Amino acid sequence: MMTRLIYTILALSIGFASIGQTIHQLIGRNTGSKLLFDGNTIRTFGFAQAFGENPPIPGPTLTFTENDSISLDFWNISQGAPHTIHLHGLDVNQANDGVPHLSFEVHHNEHGYYRFRAPHPGTYLYHCHVVSSIHVQAGMYGLIVVKPADTSMTWTDGYEYQSDVNLMFSEMDTIWHHDSVLLHDYDTSMSHHMIPIPIYTPQHFLINGLSEQQLVDKVEIHGQANSSIYVRMANIGYLANRITFPAAVNAKIIDSDGRPLPTPEVSDVLEIYPGERYGVLLDPGQEYIGTASVEFINLNTGQVDNQQVLDVNIEGFYGVEDPNRKPLRLVPNPANTEVQIYVSPKLIGEQSTIELMNISGSIVISHNRRLVEANSVNLGQLPAGVYTLLLNTESGAFSQRLIIL
Amino acid sequence: MLRATIALIVLCTSFLSNAETVHHRLHLNAGVYTAVDTTTFPMASFNWTTTFEAQNARITLESGDSLSLTIVNNDSIKHGFKIKDKTSGEEIAPGDSIHLTVFFDQEDYATIYYDHLNNSSFRAAGLGGIIHVPSNPEGLFYWNIKDFQKNWASQLVSGESVNWMTYYPDYFTINGRSNPHINQDSMARVVGSVGETITIVIANTGSSVHSIHFHGYHAEITYSSLNSAHIGRSKDTFPIKSMETLILEMVPDKPGEYPVHDHNLSAVSAGGIYPNGMFLTMLIQ
Repeated sequence: MMTRLIYTILALSIGFASIGQTIHQLIGRNTGSKLLFDGNTIRTFGFAQAFGENPPIPGPTLTFTENDSISLDFWNISQGAPHTIHLHGLDVNQANDGVPHLSFEVHHNEHGYYRFRAPHPGTYLYHCHVVSSIHVQAGMYGLIVVKPADTSMTWTDGYEYQSDVNLMFSEMDTIWHHDSVLLHDYDTSMSHHMIPIPIYTPQHFLINGLSEQQLVDKVEIHGQANSSIYVRMANIGYLANRITFPAAVNAKIIDSDGRPLPTPEVSDVLEIYPGERYGVLLDPGQEYIGTASVEFINLNTGQVDNQQVLDVNIEGFYGVEDPNRKPLRLVPNPANTEVQIYVSPKLIGEQSTIELMNISGSIVISHNRRLVEANSVNLGQLPAGVYTLLLNTESGAFSQRLIIL
Repeated sequence: MLRATIALIVLCTSFLSNAETVHHRLHLNAGVYTAVDTTTFPMASFNWTTTFEAQNARITLESGDSLSLTIVNNDSIKHGFKIKDKTSGEEIAPGDSIHLTVFFDQEDYATIYYDHLNNSSFRAAGLGGIIHVPSNPEGLFYWNIKDFQKNWASQLVSGESVNWMTYYPDYFTINGRSNPHINQDSMARVVGSVGETITIVIANTGSSVHSIHFHGYHAEITYSSLNSAHIGRSKDTFPIKSMETLILEMVPDKPGEYPVHDHNLSAVSAGGIYPNGMFLTMLIQ
């Protein structure tokens, strides 16, 4: 009965609010679950777009057009503490800022509208601001992308790009996902709360909510040579991120926090701290198969707590049909005891060195051979983990990440 | 030509008349800090008097000033004193004092004075403050941000070494206070008006990196002691590393009460309690 009533109200509210405005809808849930790379499942909070949907982490990316008048209809379908949406970086008025005691909070089975404009193209965040240390860690966050009217440009009079990729960095500490933490007390009559939080020692280091072998074929930087790839990045975690792009993609940092940099910075390495966003333009001049690394840095000790690896696939030339695309492909990946290296026709017959490098940089397998279409490599009893396969040929060097289970 | 020469002389005279030798005396005091949750732990500060206060004294100068500074060590152990990028550092015996004179020629400049001895132990115990040379004395606010691991406080204030690779702070302060008490500090809480130019000087005299997020407004970086390439960037989130100073300029475009807080959200706590850490609000009318 209650569910039917909510559906009806949802339909009516969308119908009324959709006159003359861009409508987006989010549903806050505290009964989500997330499968981690190690096979364990934890409880999460999050934002969904459909009633009954398990909220994804991160939440759905909201894409607006510059100067849109936006109505964000937020439903809270979760018992316990209320939720809000903070529109991080959009500089909205106080009433729509999503801080509980300074704007409004949305209680179970209730909804509220966040109304605002998005005047600056760029990358932003949204997240719950109720006991934000816990609710953000629980998974209540997502990305906002504001595009100019001409969506081929980063911003009006900015840079033209041909493809784009969004990367959101975060971490998870499974201790924080116990009910004893998530289901905290909350007295709505108080403006200042006293909520215990655990020590933060994350075990999971996420890019777009995934880590380790979960990233393979799901999150990558992909584009073509002689084209521009716009990479939008945001850090919603509690550690810093150091992203290292391969030199071959010619990375240039062009914007931060929704504003163009006065002077673009040519650099392969970029650090992003909690709450920051950056835009980087990649301009590869050649095909390239390799990786970018994302280090997660402890803000108290300066130590690198973890490193994740992203595939970078620059295949073909922009505007040119190339039958020899994808010079290197590993099947299966993840692999167990054997992997096949498929190479493009132009590499067949070339003398090559095949090497497998572990996460510490040590070469654990090395072969010299003349390439055929499918080149089998016995992995023996190598420990499970993330490796990099290096293929040196007469035409050039290629690399690709290989997960061994 | 004559007119230009006269104008130049007038300008120089005007400049020189503002520059002066500014005399200050700092007292290095050891004491006991009472945190927002009434927890207490040992701490030390540079204060204007012999009475211990958690907030370190703030020194404001004009461009061209010479700072004539006497530092008195009221503690029972040896301490040090250094001005970042200005002096090489001197030791002060217990009960003794030192004197130094330092010239400040750069406008819109901020640096940190601190106790440099014992591998940052004394600074981490609280001994670090701000020196600021503004171009405009109006609309100024100061955030001296620090982090503390309570169970290390006794060791640090004694100058003992700790293993920084295991550092996990549990108290976070701005000008010696945590949320909700920071708002009671009129030099910390930004109160201003729409259209007014507001200048915020931030110094990280703690040991962790902090990432300060502004709700409601972007601000422009007008000075960065570590990254001059960042000057001119308009942002809403400002990472600040240990021993870094930033000067931000903000012109509010709308009224409202908006939070500013560390977006390392585990630092919005004190003794493991949210939201008693690095969090305050700005009030724009």
